[in-house]
Amino acid sequence: MLRRFLTTRRKKKTSSPFIKKALQQQSPPVLLSTRLQENMETIKTELGAPHDLLIRSLLIGNTRHMCAIVAIDGLVNSDMLHDQVLSHIQLMISMAGKSVPDEPQTILGLLYEEVLSVSELNKSSNLIDIIDCVLSGDIALFVDGASEVIIIDSKGWKTRATEEPVSEGVVRGPRDGFTENIRDNTVRIRRRVKDKNLRFDGSYVGVRSKTALIIAYIDSIVDPEMLNEVKRRIATIDIDEVEESGFVEQWIEDDFLSPFPQIHNTERPDKVAAALFQGRVAILLDGTPMVLILPITIGLLLHSPEDYYDRWIAGTLARLLRYLAAFLAVFSPAFYIALVTFHPGLIPSDLAFSIAATRDGVPFPAFVESLMMVTTMELLQEAGLRLPKPIGQTVGIVGGLVIGDAAVSAGIVSPVMVIVVALTAIASFAIPSYPLAIAFRMLRFLAMFAAAIFGIYGVVLTFIMIMIHLTNLTSIGYPYLAPFTPQMPQDWKDLILRAPITFLRKRPGSLHPKDETRTRTGDST
Amino acid sequence: MSAQTLAEKLISKNHMGINIASVTIGVGILTFPRTLAKATGAFDGWISVILSGLIAWIIGWMLAKLAARFPRQTFFEYTSIIASKPVGYVLTALVCVYTMMFVSFEIRAIGNISKQYLFYNTPVEMITLSFLLIVQYAVAGSRIAMLRLNLLFLPVVFVVIAIVLLFTTQLVEIENVRPFFSSDWRSLLKGTEGVGLSYSGFEIILFYTMLMRNPQDGPRAIALGLAIPVLLYLTIYMFVIGVFSAEVAKNLTYPTIELAKEVEIPGGFFERVESIFFTIWIMTIFNTSAMWLDITIINLTSMFTRITKIVWILILSPIVYFIAMLPQNLVDFFSFADRLTYSGFIIVYLIPIILLLMAKMRGVKGHE
Repeated sequence: MLRRFLTTRRKKKTSSPFIKKALQQQSPPVLLSTRLQENMETIKTELGAPHDLLIRSLLIGNTRHMCAIVAIDGLVNSDMLHDQVLSHIQLMISMAGKSVPDEPQTILGLLYEEVLSVSELNKSSNLIDIIDCVLSGDIALFVDGASEVIIIDSKGWKTRATEEPVSEGVVRGPRDGFTENIRDNTVRIRRRVKDKNLRFDGSYVGVRSKTALIIAYIDSIVDPEMLNEVKRRIATIDIDEVEESGFVEQWIEDDFLSPFPQIHNTERPDKVAAALFQGRVAILLDGTPMVLILPITIGLLLHSPEDYYDRWIAGTLARLLRYLAAFLAVFSPAFYIALVTFHPGLIPSDLAFSIAATRDGVPFPAFVESLMMVTTMELLQEAGLRLPKPIGQTVGIVGGLVIGDAAVSAGIVSPVMVIVVALTAIASFAIPSYPLAIAFRMLRFLAMFAAAIFGIYGVVLTFIMIMIHLTNLTSIGYPYLAPFTPQMPQDWKDLILRAPITFLRKRPGSLHPKDETRTRTGDST
Repeated sequence: MSAQTLAEKLISKNHMGINIASVTIGVGILTFPRTLAKATGAFDGWISVILSGLIAWIIGWMLAKLAARFPRQTFFEYTSIIASKPVGYVLTALVCVYTMMFVSFEIRAIGNISKQYLFYNTPVEMITLSFLLIVQYAVAGSRIAMLRLNLLFLPVVFVVIAIVLLFTTQLVEIENVRPFFSSDWRSLLKGTEGVGLSYSGFEIILFYTMLMRNPQDGPRAIALGLAIPVLLYLTIYMFVIGVFSAEVAKNLTYPTIELAKEVEIPGGFFERVESIFFTIWIMTIFNTSAMWLDITIINLTSMFTRITKIVWILILSPIVYFIAMLPQNLVDFFSFADRLTYSGFIIVYLIPIILLLMAKMRGVKGHE
């Protein structure tokens, strides 16, 4: 369980006490005894005899030897426990003419090799390991007098059925989503990627939570350097509990000061499979349907799997629209402020007059007006997220009334402002990635402040500043703005445009894939 | 930390060309039609544009040859090799002063032009300061990222220029262009000198060659990097004279921006296009200033290796700002610019050429 922490990143300095504490907790040596009764007592004291602990002692077949089964109720598959384990042990009388031996260790070997008709069995003699296994859903079979314990893999708890991913809906495309069970999730990937080079490297994170983590990649495609970097960073994770993949994401990301997400999360198996085929790495974590994809670029965040499922014209137009949406989501209130406050001359005269007329009687400057409205919109969005669906609609109605009509009639804001805010809101909902939309919402305020101070000049400075940040930003060391910069014209076919599928013969060059071509004939176009 | 290979941190030949084009296209392009019209008094200025482009190319070719002789070595290192260490210190220090003054010039130009076209009340001091802060932010990041911004912004600038030219096509009057070949060679040479000032910037090849994947490609990068501004200048000069005539162009402070002023977008969606044009133009001036500041810092850190980049940025910024605020009016400002470029002729053109000759004669060469 010890995690090496190799990096010199600042936030990791605080982490060493965690390890020490964990070591102290586990330090009293718990040894496996050959006496069954003693072992049961140790397990009970170690676990504090919880309510869901299942201990069943029974005689093995027609011998005089006792054995005991230890499991956590609910975590194990109870059908399997009864049909394949308990009944087989009880009916172990004589097999194929052989008489049942009397030696406990031999009985254990017989159980292991012949009696138990379970696909995955292990032996262990380390009590701490055994307890860990029991806690993660295995059955431990103790035989009185034997020095080893059989671990029966029988994980089988109730999980929710798969549902359509709520956060990433598509009109065309598969309807299944990941669930909280990591095994279901690997199955979903495996069913899409039948390549023999698909790898699932498993490990555990969280000193106490011991959450299973799987790094998925296709060995013959992925850049080995990238893979090593991902593994190195994951090895530095040193934290008590990991409830969601967000913990992993925040621990291994490149720049924690950046507003932009540097690792993508998705609950769509088709998206993960596509990313693996491109030469990316996915990280699956037990207990969450959110799978991480890395490294990413800003282009990827503005793409949707649907772009590829629809015909290329529709896909290209949708992408163009999203790039426009990204721009509007950040800059439209700022432009409003700049134009109304500093450069009314830029607006056509007729429009300028009508804006001025509607603003007549509004007591606030454009900046305060926009700030109020944009903040109200943020509030509504936040409120709508947390509420159950029926009440959520009410929020929408109230918000629509407040923003749309009442505020205007009361003379607090101008009607043009309402249009601008509505446009901004719709534009930010058109961003496929929620974390990216959050980044844009933050930057919107920055742009508004700049516009309030320097007008359109401030807006351009903000734009330059965001660009400086983005060119400096990396995701697992890979440039975030690729293939815009560094320029890789061969990747531009699948960036703002989505070229016809027959033209997309190469994997993204910015990821340095081992196998560059996606078609057997290579790049013949 | 980074999984990137070294090759990706270096720049290609085309990228270097774009860098040269970006650093050249800055404030000069906004004013050169005035200088040229004043000198030649006619459309014939285009000959001067090509002539000075050729001269710039020859000089640039020699500078690139010099830098390519010493791959992966800084300007300070190779001047020290060629002409002893003390000379290296003096020359590098002179270059630092020159490039730093260039940053001052660019940021003051931003202040002046913004004041004229965008603001009424905002003081030049604040406009300049905010711009300098952004330039600092760019230079404080990684060098390759700063250079990549050129690749992002230059196309945007071209698109805007293309739009302006497209909409002014109908305003070109052939009467303004005639008569052809009316200027004598003396005035053409004077014009050549005037435009030559607007080409300054390609000397960055001296300092950035060490970042090139293949330093021997330097001369070709110069050719690409100068071809872009030459074509751009030619087109803009033709349009300025075609729309305004040489007589009017003489008296416009920023003829290129005035060209944008003439644009009327059909449907009246935007008015006063020149403001938008200049707003976009800020991006390329930003690129120019960021590269100049970065070069100053490259040279300073190559001389004083113990002081870090951030410290230099903090030391330089107040000086840059102070110098930028010195010119009291436009006349002061433009004479400052002229003196700066003339001193550049000696520091970054003449001396490096002499250095190249010395290196050839002494047979010194760097090693990869």
